[in-house]
Amino acid sequence: MKFRDVFRFAAGALVGHPLRTGLSLLGVAVGVTSVVVLTSLGEGARLYVTGEFAALGSNLLIIIPGRNDTTGFAPPIGVAPHDLTLDDAEALRRLPGVRRVAPIAIGSATARAGDLTRDTVVTGVTAEWQSIRRIDLQSGQFLPAGDTEADRALCVIGATIQSQLFPGRSALGEMLRVGDERFRVIGVLAPRGTSLGMNLDEIVLIPVGRHMRMFNETTLPRVLVEMTSHDDLPAGKAAATALLTARHDEYDVTIETQESMLAAFSRLLRVLTAALSGIAAISLCVAGVGIMNVMLVSVSERTREIGLLKAIGATPADVLRFFLAEAAALSVVGGLAGLIAASILSATARRLFPAFPMQPPDWAAPAAVAVSLAVGMLFGVWPARRAARLDPIRALTRR
Amino acid sequence: MIEMQGVGRDYVVGGTPVHALSEVSLQIPDGEYVSIMGPSGSGKSTLLNVIGCLDRPTAGWYALDGEAVGALDERALSYIRGHKIGFVFQVFHLVPRLTASANVDLPMLLAGVQPAVRADRVRRALEAVGLSARARHKPDELSGGERQRVAIARAIVMGPAILLADEPTGNLDRASGAEVVALLEEMNAEGLTLVVVTHDPAVGGRARVRLQMVDGRLT
Repeated sequence: MKFRDVFRFAAGALVGHPLRTGLSLLGVAVGVTSVVVLTSLGEGARLYVTGEFAALGSNLLIIIPGRNDTTGFAPPIGVAPHDLTLDDAEALRRLPGVRRVAPIAIGSATARAGDLTRDTVVTGVTAEWQSIRRIDLQSGQFLPAGDTEADRALCVIGATIQSQLFPGRSALGEMLRVGDERFRVIGVLAPRGTSLGMNLDEIVLIPVGRHMRMFNETTLPRVLVEMTSHDDLPAGKAAATALLTARHDEYDVTIETQESMLAAFSRLLRVLTAALSGIAAISLCVAGVGIMNVMLVSVSERTREIGLLKAIGATPADVLRFFLAEAAALSVVGGLAGLIAASILSATARRLFPAFPMQPPDWAAPAAVAVSLAVGMLFGVWPARRAARLDPIRALTRR
Repeated sequence: MIEMQGVGRDYVVGGTPVHALSEVSLQIPDGEYVSIMGPSGSGKSTLLNVIGCLDRPTAGWYALDGEAVGALDERALSYIRGHKIGFVFQVFHLVPRLTASANVDLPMLLAGVQPAVRADRVRRALEAVGLSARARHKPDELSGGERQRVAIARAIVMGPAILLADEPTGNLDRASGAEVVALLEEMNAEGLTLVVVTHDPAVGGRARVRLQMVDGRLT
C-alpha cells in the first residue's frame, strides 16, 4: 500500500464523522495548548526574573552579613557575626575598581500625611542606590549624594504613596511623618511595580544612616557594590572578602555575584517550567484516552467495512496501518491546532501584560507535538489491533 | 481450479459444536459456472467463504490452483483474496463515504497498484458494469441494482480468476436482479470462474453445475 493512500483513506474516514473527529481534535488541541502555555508561563517567569537581574547591570557584588556555609568547628559560644556597618561600606568604596557602593537598610513603619496614614516599607539608601538600581523619578529629585553622615530628614516616595497620601496634589515639599520622625518629600519615583521582590511604588526612601538610627539597627542587611567593569568582578570579590575579613577579624559575610544569584534563580525557574510541563503532559494523556475512545467507537462502528477490506485483500497489517494513520492524523492535526491556539493566547497575554515576557521555550512546541503524536499512536495501537484482528466473516455479517 | 477433499468446518456455538460443513469434496475447473443452493443454515455461505479463503476449514484438504491453502498464513491468504478472488455480497458492502470509483479503487489501493494505472482500470471496470456516468456518486445516491454493479466492478478490477457471489440478488427487485445475474454471467463468459450461492431457483438454475447443500453436506 502507498503511504499517501493510507493517509487519504484515514483522512476520509475522519472527515466522515466531523463531530466525533472534531471533539477528539479538541482534546488533543487543549492538551498541546496547555503544554505550550504552561511552559510559556514558566519560561516567561524565568525571563522576567533574569531580566530584572540584568536591569541591575552585570557588575554587581551583593554583600550579606553572616556566612551561608558552615565549615570547621562550631564557633565558641558568644561570638556573633560582626555587623556590616556603614564604615564597612565606606571602606569598600575605596577599593580599586569599585564604582559605586549602596548600603541598604529595610524596615517598615506607618507613614502619615495630614489625616491619611498607611503602612509602608521604609528603605534606607544613598544617592548611589538610584544609579545602581536604575531608578527613574517622576518628579523632584533623589536623595542628595554624600549625605550618609548628615542624613537630613528628606525622603523620596513611591508613586502609590504619592497618590494615596497626597491625593490630588504634589507631595513635593510636603512633610511626611514616618514613625515618629518627619521627612520632607523631595522626589517621587516613576511607577515601576515590583522589582526584585520590592514594590517600588509603595516605598519610602530615606537616608540610610538616619534609617539605622531610627530603627536602632547595628548591621546593614545588604550592601550592593558596583564594579567599573564585568572583568573586575572576581578581583573585586577577592578584595572585598580580604577587606571585610581584615575589618571583622574573620570571614563572616557572604558575597554573591549577581550572576550566581541569577544562575540560582534561573535553575529554580527551569525546574518550575519542567514541573508545569509535567502537569500539562497529563492533559495530553487525557487527550490520548480521548483518541483511544474515538478509535474504539470507530472500529466497532466500521466493523463491516473492516470485514470488507479483509475480503478484498487487506492484510491485518494494512488494517492496522489505516487505524494508526487515523490516530496519527488526529494527534498531528490536533497538535497543530493546539500550537496555533497557544500562540494566539500568548500573543494576547503579551499584549495585556507587556512586562511579562510570556514565551514558550524553544523545545516546547516540537516536544508538545511529538508527545501528542506519541500519545496518539500509543493509545491508537489497541483499537487498531482490535480492528486488525477482527475475523473477516464475523465482521462482514455484523449487523 | 478449485479442489476440495473431505473439507469440514466446525464451529462451537455456546459450548456445542456445530458442523457447518462436513465431508465436502468437489472440483471446479477454471471458467466453470457453479451455483450452490440449499435452505438457510445448510452451509452454502460457509462453503463460499472457505473457497474465498475468508474462512479456514477445520478438516480436509483444499487447494486453489494446485496450492494447498491450509498451510498459508494470514498474509498469503490476504494476497489470494486480493488478487485471485472477487467477492460480491448480498448487502453490497460498499464503503458509504466513498464514491463509486473510490470503492472500485479500494482493492488496487490495498494491493499497492500505481495510482496512474488505477484511474484507468477503475474507468474500465465501471464501463464494464455500465456505470461510467455514476462514477462520482456515493452509494446512498445509487439504486440497489447500481450498488451491486459497483460491487461487481470492485470484484473484477484486480482481474481475478474466480468470482464468488453470496446471494447477489437477495436484496434486489426482480429486474435489477436479472441485470446483475446477466452481468455476472458476462464475466463468466469472459473466462472467470463464477460460483453463486443462492436460494432462488430461478438464479441457481441458470448455472451449468448446480450443487445442492443440506446440513453442511453436498447432495
